[in-house]
Amino acid sequence: MQTIFVSRGSYRRGRELAERLADCLGCRCLSREDVIEAATQHGIPVGKLEEAVVKRRPLTEALGLLAERYKAFVTMTLCERVLEAPLVYHGRAGHLVLPGVQHILRVRALTDVEDRYDGVVDRLHLSREKAKQYVGQVDDDIRRWIRTMYDLDINDPALFNLTVNCSKLTVANVATALVSMAQLPEFTATPAGERRLENLLLAARCRLVLADDPRTRDLNAQVRADSGSVSVTYPPRQSAIADAVGEVLSGDAEIRQLRCTVAASTILWVQERFDPESATMASLLDLAGRWDAAVDVVRLLPETEGTDAVEPVVAEAAPSLSGGDGGILDDAGVMASDSDDGGVRETVHRLIQAGRAGAQCNVCGGQQSLIGSLCNVANVSLVVVDELFLSRGEAIRKRLTRDLAGRLGERLRVPVIGAEELRTRYLFGAKQWLQLLMTGGLTALLYFGVFTHQEELLAFLRSQGTTERVLAVTVVTLTAPLVAYLWGTAAHNLLRLVRFE
Amino acid sequence: MQPDAILGLFIHLSWSTAAQVVMLGFIGGVLSGFIGSGGAFFMTPGMMNLGVLGPIAVGSNITHKFGKALVGSRRHGQMGHVDKKLSVFMLATAAIGIRLAVWVMKLMFHDGGDSHATARGAGADLYISVVFVVILAVVSISMLRDIVSSRRAEGEFGPSRKIVDFLNRFRLHPMIYFPVADVRVSLWVVMICGLATGYLAGTIGVGGFIGVPAMIYVFGVSAQVAAGSELYLAMFMGAFGALNYALEGMVDLRLTMLLFIGSLVGIHIGAYGTKVVKEVVIRLATAVIILLCVISRLVATPVYLRKLGFIRFDPGYDTLFQAVSKGLLYASGIGGTAIILYFVFRAFFERRKIRESLAVGRVEQAAV
Repeated sequence: MQTIFVSRGSYRRGRELAERLADCLGCRCLSREDVIEAATQHGIPVGKLEEAVVKRRPLTEALGLLAERYKAFVTMTLCERVLEAPLVYHGRAGHLVLPGVQHILRVRALTDVEDRYDGVVDRLHLSREKAKQYVGQVDDDIRRWIRTMYDLDINDPALFNLTVNCSKLTVANVATALVSMAQLPEFTATPAGERRLENLLLAARCRLVLADDPRTRDLNAQVRADSGSVSVTYPPRQSAIADAVGEVLSGDAEIRQLRCTVAASTILWVQERFDPESATMASLLDLAGRWDAAVDVVRLLPETEGTDAVEPVVAEAAPSLSGGDGGILDDAGVMASDSDDGGVRETVHRLIQAGRAGAQCNVCGGQQSLIGSLCNVANVSLVVVDELFLSRGEAIRKRLTRDLAGRLGERLRVPVIGAEELRTRYLFGAKQWLQLLMTGGLTALLYFGVFTHQEELLAFLRSQGTTERVLAVTVVTLTAPLVAYLWGTAAHNLLRLVRFE
Repeated sequence: MQPDAILGLFIHLSWSTAAQVVMLGFIGGVLSGFIGSGGAFFMTPGMMNLGVLGPIAVGSNITHKFGKALVGSRRHGQMGHVDKKLSVFMLATAAIGIRLAVWVMKLMFHDGGDSHATARGAGADLYISVVFVVILAVVSISMLRDIVSSRRAEGEFGPSRKIVDFLNRFRLHPMIYFPVADVRVSLWVVMICGLATGYLAGTIGVGGFIGVPAMIYVFGVSAQVAAGSELYLAMFMGAFGALNYALEGMVDLRLTMLLFIGSLVGIHIGAYGTKVVKEVVIRLATAVIILLCVISRLVATPVYLRKLGFIRFDPGYDTLFQAVSKGLLYASGIGGTAIILYFVFRAFFERRKIRESLAVGRVEQAAV
């Protein structure tokens, strides 16, 4: 059962290519326009969302919820269709909607920009200059849409299995090539992949039901599902709304268990192997408690021969861990088995005990795969990376970890730190006590010096000679940041000490 | 200059005055952390009400802002909320704006009654007050109108996009792309906004009230990136402003240091507040607090007008005007801060309660 998602952007023959592919594979063809029409009929004002993005409006709380509602609808629709029968979908960001489902062939179809100008000139009867502006505007709108909805760059080639420049190729030949690629074993549906789709479908359906119901419409919830177990995470200020979640979702017969967790944010913990008794675990629980955060456990498996080019294999799971992760590798037994899950099971169990369990996923295929897998994780405040690339030498391990931290920080735009930094920067230990005493002491000394010599200081600040003026300026411009740093650090540590963060 | 004359320029600091300056810093810090501006709109007139001469209040506050922005922009930078390119482009003209403002201020300080003992600095005080009232009245009324109109129009609370859409129609070249903010803006628009931001930062120490709305309403930048980028810009503007005011001998380092004591604690508490209070409440509170500050400054203006000889009334009324002005300012700052603190501590204790319940076990609803 083959499924192909074509990201066509504004390439005008993308539709033709998708329909040709559907003919060749003997399956249905679904377009972005079909999904939007269905969403509009469902009562989702997609036009309002598009207008906000095109007109460059920052997303308000209400628009953010609308975006989540639309994404849930699209995810649900695509999951249903893919589970029903083979499918060719064409649109803008279909390749981003079902993360971690490996057997979908994700293709970017584009053409030379000069061809596109010609096309616009022919189709809309515009001058070439106007056509250039038009194409630029359309590309800008699409890029903005994907950035707003998924916080990703459409031009990132790592998001696709294949990018095809159709300028010098006929649609028929491109379709033939893609069909043969879709026949490869990596793009054949597996039970694990279907399980992953079912989880995504259940989570999206629950999210949509919550967004549709007036009682929970304003709930800023993250919904995850695993084999009928649904986890709804919401911020503390919405505790009152969250009380209605159970009632609203009671109509879904596929929900076996429902868990509601309050979380202000998410902390991602990325390692190759986990130890629930480790100091990092204790530090993370402490920090998650302070922040009311959920901890997502992400196991990055080493790249092995033959898996380097494979797309991320992801398993989101809740407390009861499944070995499944939705990819062909899982069926082949490459992924963690029950006997060696890298300590994930015990770690998640410990997190559940502390009421801090978020999602859990396994990622195979290196840095790029990890970054691709994490693109849809919302509300992340911090990423902790440690104990990675364990099969490599120490120097290489450090370099790769540093490189990964840099790329994750760039993509997620949150601090990415190591376990050691977690203890020193975010938690209160001996080092922080020392820092508090030192900065507090130095601040006190500085203030004592200034306020016991007020008249001399004021005379100095108003002194008239050139040298004296330069000195006065230097003293003022150096003292202000010094005091801000010293007292700022001391005050920050004091507030951390009383858990006021 | 003789010591007596120097002490005449700078206020005598009693324990009570020092405590009031610390309190001004704390309230300014809470408001600053909560609404994302520098808090100078409260601290500058607050110090003036304590008897600090206008230019010295501005100079001391801008120096305080420099140090605070240095620390704050580093934190925002770590969170990815700073568009350095945007800040650097605005800085180019903001520096000219600050220099211009200091020059005008110096002119006002010396020509506006400096020679007369009772009217020392009244010209500069009046000038600062007028700019303060005009600019902040426009800002607060616009914010209130925006809240009301967006609520009526769409049932949601997004900032108005009228100016961005209007300017986008013209596409005044060269258009510059700012990657972090993800906007494309005409260089000319950026330069004009930079100049206005710098001029106001140099005049009343309130650059953020022009810089942040300009980035949101004129450039179309998201609120978080606007706040982060403005803070980054404020760091350089503050440094430049502090340098200029210090060069003129108009910085009272004691006041700067006292402001730090309160503001650096308050800013953390205010920032905590933004996580637990709805966006519309934040904007509403900001608009009301600014409006009250404007009225407070308006009430103090007759005193300066009398000192300059523009109007006549019994000097005995000066105390009354000052007291009402001070009362209004304190009412706005203390009232606003009290509301913020109420939300902050309520959330803080709620979180503690939740944490305690989670420590016992999962918050789990019954199986459906």
